Amino acid sequence: MSTEETQETDEDLLVVDELKTTFSTEAGELVAVDGIDFSVDRGETVCIVGESGSGKTVATESVTRLVKEPPGRIEGSIQFKGAELMEMSEPELRDIRGNQIANIFQNPQDAMNHCYSVGWQIVEAIQVHQDISDEKARARAVDLLDRVGIPNASARFDDYPHEFSGGQKQRAMIAMALIGNPDLLIADEPTTALDVTVQSQILSLLNDLQEEFGMGILFVTHDLGVVAEIADRVVVMYAGKVMERGDVYDIFEQPAHPYTQELMKCLPGRGAKLEGIPGSLPSPTNPPDGCRFADRCDHAVDECRQGEQPPEIEFEPDHLASCIYYGPGYDSDVVRDAELELDNTERTPGASDD
Amino acid sequence: MTDPILSVRDLQKHYPITKGILSRQVGAVRAVDGISFDLYPGETLGLVGESGCGKSTAATSIIRLEEATDGEVIFNGGGRAGATRNADGTHPNDVTEFDKQELKAFRRDAQMIFQDPSSSFDPRITVGSSIAEMLLVHGMRDRHRRRAIVEDLLERVDMSADDYDRYPHEFSGGQKQRIALARALVLNPDLVIADEPVSALDVSIQAEVLSLLNELQEAFGLSVLLISHDMGVVQETCDRVAVMYLGEIVEIGDTEEIFRNPQHPYTEALVSAVPTPNPYTRREGIELKGTVPQPSNPPSGCRFHTRCHKVIQSSDYDLEQAQWRGLLNLRSEVESGALEVDKIRQSAAVGEDVEPDAVSDTAIRQQVRTEFDLPQELPDRDAEAVLADALDRLVSDDQAEAGELLASEFVTPCEETKPEFTDHGDGHRSSCLRHRAEYQEMEVVSDD
Repeated sequence: MSTEETQETDEDLLVVDELKTTFSTEAGELVAVDGIDFSVDRGETVCIVGESGSGKTVATESVTRLVKEPPGRIEGSIQFKGAELMEMSEPELRDIRGNQIANIFQNPQDAMNHCYSVGWQIVEAIQVHQDISDEKARARAVDLLDRVGIPNASARFDDYPHEFSGGQKQRAMIAMALIGNPDLLIADEPTTALDVTVQSQILSLLNDLQEEFGMGILFVTHDLGVVAEIADRVVVMYAGKVMERGDVYDIFEQPAHPYTQELMKCLPGRGAKLEGIPGSLPSPTNPPDGCRFADRCDHAVDECRQGEQPPEIEFEPDHLASCIYYGPGYDSDVVRDAELELDNTERTPGASDD
Repeated sequence: MTDPILSVRDLQKHYPITKGILSRQVGAVRAVDGISFDLYPGETLGLVGESGCGKSTAATSIIRLEEATDGEVIFNGGGRAGATRNADGTHPNDVTEFDKQELKAFRRDAQMIFQDPSSSFDPRITVGSSIAEMLLVHGMRDRHRRRAIVEDLLERVDMSADDYDRYPHEFSGGQKQRIALARALVLNPDLVIADEPVSALDVSIQAEVLSLLNELQEAFGLSVLLISHDMGVVQETCDRVAVMYLGEIVEIGDTEEIFRNPQHPYTEALVSAVPTPNPYTRREGIELKGTVPQPSNPPSGCRFHTRCHKVIQSSDYDLEQAQWRGLLNLRSEVESGALEVDKIRQSAAVGEDVEPDAVSDTAIRQQVRTEFDLPQELPDRDAEAVLADALDRLVSDDQAEAGELLASEFVTPCEETKPEFTDHGDGHRSSCLRHRAEYQEMEVVSDD
């Protein structure tokens, strides 16, 4: 096992290429994710951010093919540690899910069974993946609960989900996700249902666990504030397409795509007046021509509404935006918003943790 | 200053805990334990705190969806202004004393918006009829007028009049919350209580709903009591903020003042928990550990002392703040019996890579110190002597005695004295013992 791992460290952990997830509905083909690429390295946190309905959850569920087929259909390539997940059989996939790739979901309440104790559910999950005795599984479960910060874990083992608070339930879910020492953790809005104080506890727990286990985290959220807390790299999604991607510092220093800028304006404390983004997402069954965001964009011109979504243009190293203004023949100053751009001098020495 | 539209005085809501077939009362969950505040006309007051601090119970008790245990809620809206107290000390506008008729009138003047817009609409009737039902209940018999009023209101909340005949499932969460706003406004109330109106929504939709709420407040001259756990939301919308912890208000004041100069350590922690949209300042905040204690058995003295990062040191010792916090944490764990020596022995065994039975007592002591962030040796000799003694007793499996020793030696003034409100000017008040003159001096000395 160890030799195998040393060989793999050079490879990317997860590389998703041209991922397209469609659902057949009565209203026609619904394209939830429309040909997106992203990758996650070991020890790195990649955030997918966007409004509800932008396809971010479907994108992450497609990674381990949790999307039901049919009615769903997944196309493209998903390489995990060099292996193609798209070509794997269901039993092979099941071996990877929960073991090498673990999921945490938004609402811990719904992710647990109310009729069994929390500890029992963790033991069950352990024994699905590992052939070990009840006592050993129990010891491991207590150990994991303790690791994720449940005080007095051995006594709480036999408690039922309703006896846990929301934050504790999410911690237990994280414990369950750690069972197989996963290489990749997919966290889908894990803090949205929680209080702000509990949210910051969970985020710092995820950070600590990442440092300890060196896993890659694919984190889905609608809140750029959370992104700023946890991300290394950011992928901004809108209506099934990637609008902007880059290093977290670059994204916050210079939000390039008008959609990213609008998302930023929704946050308190960025100087702008709270207004929300006018309009709503385009129809997923019949997407408009050109840039998906054109109808809600202040800078849209006729060219924005023609052809396909503009290609992603790398206007500074590793910082890409899918907006025609960054292409040749356009002035990118038109869409840039100086008010939103963080001044580099605000960077306090030692404040950044990497 | 004008009279407040809503005056809450010493409001309490206790839920009895009963036991046995005779349902004897054996205790009470003190969800709201004596809160007082005023809400002035046209103002937005934020009530913030973590889940379980009683903020929603406060709202339902104020609007009398639940009967308050004690206290007064004086509502001067809806033409009730100017009333004075009766001879026997009761107030004619006290909501908790309203009879059925007065209550119905009150419920026209005060409305509530709930967190989850999906569960607050009947899925089987159109949203238009849902709103119009309120008018019918309060006596508007003319169907055409009802429809006209509702259609007009739907347009005021940026929906269209045609939405009258659509069903709740046809709308997104943000749209439903806007319709809920329309429903709250249809009876032309003076007071709106919004209980986490945006926490179920996306950040982008949150901004939209909050700015609509602001607009409508100006247009209709509403007074709003906004309940939220998110300091970010409160900062954007509220004129004043009341911070609640475990059934009590610990700090109240102007929003700007609270954010610029928080006086209570709990407020400080809440403010710093809001994620800042700036990756350069990540993880600089104060982390609030643990959860809110049980309201059936709240801590003595200042209720926040079990989690406070600024808990006052006993004058007998001179320690770093983090060490003092660690000692108090150790004490409460040992006292409550939550600290298990066997568990520690196991952890120490992993660290030393030996069988649990072979772990030396020194290693166990060391493990306890590491777990509670205590150094090898405390700089204060007296404190170190007590700690060493307690650890010895722990190692010899004498938890009870170790607990007693720690409890008698490591005592913080915060658990002995209930702090009173200190006035910081301009209606900014907070209840923290550190503001007493005697402790202020101590802080200055220890800073040197």
